[in-house]
Amino acid sequence: MRSSSRWLVPLTAAVLGLALVPAAALAGRDPSPPLGPSTQTEAYCMGCHAEPGLTMTLPSGEVLSLTISEDTLRGSVHSPLGIECRACHTSITTYPHPALDYATRRELSRGLYQACEKCHADNYSKTLDSMHAQAATAGNLEAPVCTDCHGSHDVHLPDRPRAHISEICGRCHTKIFSEYADSIHGSALLEEDNPDVPVCTDCHGVHNIQDPRTAQFRVESPEMCAGCHANPELMGRYGLSADVYSLYRLSWHGVDVSVYRAKWPTIWHESAVCTDCHGVHNIRSTEDPQSRVNPKNLLATCQQCHPDAGPNWTGAWTGHNRVSLERTPFVFYTESFYTQLVPVVLGLSAAYVLLQIVRALLDRIRRAWR
Amino acid sequence: MIPSGAAPVHTERTFQRFTPGQRWEHGLLILTFVVLLLTGLPQKFRETSWSRFLLATPDRVELVRTIHRTAAVIFLLESAYHVGRGIYLLSRRRLSGEIFPTGQDLRDAGQMLRYLFFLSPRRPRYGRYSFEQKFTYWFLFFGFGILILSGLIVWFPTFFTRFLPGGIVPAAKLAHSSEALVSAIFVVLWHFFHVHLERLNLSIFSGRLNERDMRRHHALEFERLTGESADETTGDSG
Repeated sequence: MRSSSRWLVPLTAAVLGLALVPAAALAGRDPSPPLGPSTQTEAYCMGCHAEPGLTMTLPSGEVLSLTISEDTLRGSVHSPLGIECRACHTSITTYPHPALDYATRRELSRGLYQACEKCHADNYSKTLDSMHAQAATAGNLEAPVCTDCHGSHDVHLPDRPRAHISEICGRCHTKIFSEYADSIHGSALLEEDNPDVPVCTDCHGVHNIQDPRTAQFRVESPEMCAGCHANPELMGRYGLSADVYSLYRLSWHGVDVSVYRAKWPTIWHESAVCTDCHGVHNIRSTEDPQSRVNPKNLLATCQQCHPDAGPNWTGAWTGHNRVSLERTPFVFYTESFYTQLVPVVLGLSAAYVLLQIVRALLDRIRRAWR
Repeated sequence: MIPSGAAPVHTERTFQRFTPGQRWEHGLLILTFVVLLLTGLPQKFRETSWSRFLLATPDRVELVRTIHRTAAVIFLLESAYHVGRGIYLLSRRRLSGEIFPTGQDLRDAGQMLRYLFFLSPRRPRYGRYSFEQKFTYWFLFFGFGILILSGLIVWFPTFFTRFLPGGIVPAAKLAHSSEALVSAIFVVLWHFFHVHLERLNLSIFSGRLNERDMRRHHALEFERLTGESADETTGDSG
């Protein structure tokens, strides 16, 4: 056993090395067909499908264009990798093609996209748990499938540039997208291609996007914001405090929310989370006069939950700030009182009681001696 | 007065310390204070496991808050009665002001410290209330004042910020939970020692104190009431 295992290691390495040489050579060739029988169909198919004006009419009356541009295919991620027509159009093996049994264009999309699962099984199965899949199950066939976001013949990496991700979502979620585009996050993304601000998927997830209106999403959302806003390095780049989350957690709202998050995440609770005050998609800088937490608008924001609050009320909010004499004098003096004076008084009281105990014990011992 | 020459008959003399009303007040105070602590501390320490056990459901949190506020109202009414009655009786000269601190209390404290450090063989001779008892009363008097005021502020924050600055709300929240803890620590540390460990003093429940304790712990009061010397020269002093 020992002698054979001594030989096994270099032998395996040699075999692996030999195997890697042709693979490396193949990778250098472009375009190359490394994936077997579903390849090399592109040239054959394009013999017909490059022709302009090629269409068919579906039973619904919708006219389906059958013309595919060579440039579109070449620009996609699949074709240059040798993943050609038949990889996805699995039912079409020859000409004439078998009849399509889709009544509508949407049915066709919802049928053909299932081929994505062959290679992208992980992400495909995630989408089945998503809010979008639930919408489809509930009867909304417009709910997006893979190809609605990623494209079909023109499939690209979605984040080149990052703004593209949010723009894709914005195709359906138009109102939210326009709010987001005006927000501090969205404008930095769309105007500056800022790499740090969140795109839709950073908060909502990618393939298994969940309903953001649930109690659970709500109580977990502060943690999500903290993903960036409690990161000192990231916040330092923009002159923002990274203590906002830790200080929120000490606040009335924050304690309540963390209890619900830990114990009753599925029970709806009204204690304020980040988005209740700062807004959701329309989050703006505090200095922005349109911000809901700008000092001008703060009272109105508080009044959403505290309708009978008067003008002094906003002073009750210590902000995401540490206790200081300048900002929060009442809390500052109260804290000083309980952290400095009171412990001294209690300490002296304890010392006095201790002295009494010592004296009483010594007296008792002395009496016993007599 | 025992006539000289007659057979010595042991008679237990007791002295009234508290009126029935005061004893009821103290009982009510204990009851509400304990209920307030039991329902308040789980709210202060929400993250701890025992709090999570007690406050197991949102309904339980609401229940505990309701109990706390009910007890708080009783506590508030009792405190208002106590202070109101005190002020009324003082103004009518029907209550001695012996609970108020005087310079003598400082001298007594100094004497007591000398005694505790073996610099003097004698304890101070106290009147109706020792400086220890006065310290208990006034420590909790102001403590309960802080608790009531801060409790009302955190209960009705929007009302109070109509005419007070908003900053008092988080300050009241901090003061309420800190003072509750401080009061509880003080009662256990100071009050329990003086009425249970140092000597068992149940006069707040019975209303009366025996002669021996009167002579020892309230010598001046004993002399004022009886005209006798408080020094325990008679045989029963053990």
